[in-house]
Amino acid sequence: MNDMTVKRILAICVLLAAWELLPRVGAVNPLFIPPFSGVLSALADLNESGELARHTLVSLERALAGLSAAVVLGLPLGLILGGWFPRIQQAAEPLMELFAQANPVILAHIIIFFLGIGQSAKIFIIAWLCIWPITFSTITGLKTVDPGLIKAARSLGLGRGELFLRVVLPASAPSIFTGLRLAAGYAFIMLIAAEMMGASSGLGFLVIQSQESYNVTRIFAGASIITFFAVATDLLIKGVERRVVVWNDTASQDFLKLPRAVPEQS
Amino acid sequence: MHPALKETIGYHALRGSGVTLFLLLWELAPRLGWIDPYFVPPFSRVLPEIGRLWQEGALQLHLVVSIWRAACGLVLAALIALPVGLLLGERFAALSEALDPVLRVLSQVNPFTLMPVFVLFFGIGETAKVAVVAWVSLWPILFYTITGVRGVDPVQVKSAASLGVTQTELLLKVLLPASLPTIAVGVRIGATITFYILVAAEMLGSSAGLGFLVHNSAMNYQIPRIYAGATFIVLLGFLLNRTLQLLERNLFDWQLAAAYRPHGGGYQRSLWQPGRLTVAAGSAFLLLFLILGGVEVQKIDREAAQPASESGGHSHHLGTPVDNGGF
Repeated sequence: MNDMTVKRILAICVLLAAWELLPRVGAVNPLFIPPFSGVLSALADLNESGELARHTLVSLERALAGLSAAVVLGLPLGLILGGWFPRIQQAAEPLMELFAQANPVILAHIIIFFLGIGQSAKIFIIAWLCIWPITFSTITGLKTVDPGLIKAARSLGLGRGELFLRVVLPASAPSIFTGLRLAAGYAFIMLIAAEMMGASSGLGFLVIQSQESYNVTRIFAGASIITFFAVATDLLIKGVERRVVVWNDTASQDFLKLPRAVPEQS
Repeated sequence: MHPALKETIGYHALRGSGVTLFLLLWELAPRLGWIDPYFVPPFSRVLPEIGRLWQEGALQLHLVVSIWRAACGLVLAALIALPVGLLLGERFAALSEALDPVLRVLSQVNPFTLMPVFVLFFGIGETAKVAVVAWVSLWPILFYTITGVRGVDPVQVKSAASLGVTQTELLLKVLLPASLPTIAVGVRIGATITFYILVAAEMLGSSAGLGFLVHNSAMNYQIPRIYAGATFIVLLGFLLNRTLQLLERNLFDWQLAAAYRPHGGGYQRSLWQPGRLTVAAGSAFLLLFLILGGVEVQKIDREAAQPASESGGHSHHLGTPVDNGGF
């Protein structure tokens, strides 16, 4: 364990200690921000009554189903548009940008007309949201493949199919993973909104229900568990990427991060 | 016809064809009975509905409320994130490395779960919504500021240091300008995500704003109106994104010139460069909008709260004439 890891763990401990101590000494109103130990015991209570497992499973199922649907649709869409049909991609791009702007939560009422208020409406909302980052980053990934790589592979006599599978796809993998992580982040944010709008189960419902009964500790318990799953999903995708994309030193960008603005050659 | 002109026209026709095809489908599918026209009214019925909403004054009213909330939150977020990001990026680099996991976890905290907490702190008024917006846009601005400051060419920093600038001068005259392009990307991402989440938050619980307009139409089964509101929101988000991108390109063309044309190629001034006066006028306008908009939004909220018993709540304050400070 190196020095920085120790410091990082220390920083997290300081945050948790502040969360525990500030309400206890009365620096913030403990009714509004309950101490960390209170939130933990609320989580334990929820766990004992089985509510935690039930709501978490429902939420995870929705998020996972929506995300997988988005991957199943968005990845081939991006590959086909970016790889084979550049003109169709140019024609479709403005429309896809508009679609990406179309917040599915606004359209929730219309989606409910067609799909009912059950599971499928929520999965559709998540899938709609996640499909665009995946498609866009796949197209970007394909377009930014180093032409030198393709030329080298061609001159070594690779066929079209092999060129795609062995060169183009691996070279665009970091960008595809960036899109995946972005999509997963969006999925969790909007899943909670969708569950707050109208659901009878799920973590978003748990938070709204706790709000209606003024159970602040449970609001924090729900929020913590949602944050935990959002972070865990992000780390999971990052981990998968590290196993899959072993050859590349430029990994997918962190959520909300950018390559350096000034190229670092000087 | 000139071949270059022909090419331009061809390009734009190609770019527009996807959207045109979609609109055509939207128009024809309900008319030909492929979809129930009650649930999906054709586009030609949705477009006049936007005009009608505008004439009633409802659209402007809710637009001002939404934009005011977004602007307040963004300004608040920038006021916090810029100084913190500049300091964490340069002065306290080791601290920001150590804080990295904490900041990442905090940035993943879901804004919708924070809404009940903010309501506890600030009541159900505007402050809670502005706080949600500020929370959402805080993280992109903060992260991009840190990244921007770290990405500043060390040669520039060293040259400035060897010319004997003080720490404050270094921060304000070298690091801030050099990282502005990156910060601008953060602000754009923050603004786009914020708008997305604000509208959703307005649908969840609010008495005014574009999200409320759509939600209210759905509650009253005014289906063309849902589509009208949604179309307007989509266009607005699209325009917001495009405008900010255009601004970035125009404002920071010196950076692009350095990055993409390292060997000569000439430095081309963009069409429009803001001077000090433009910046001052822009800031003054923003401030004026925040203040006047605040007064207006308070008024709208009061009116929305009062007639809940009579005349079905919402329709009462639709006709309020809106003076929005020079829009």
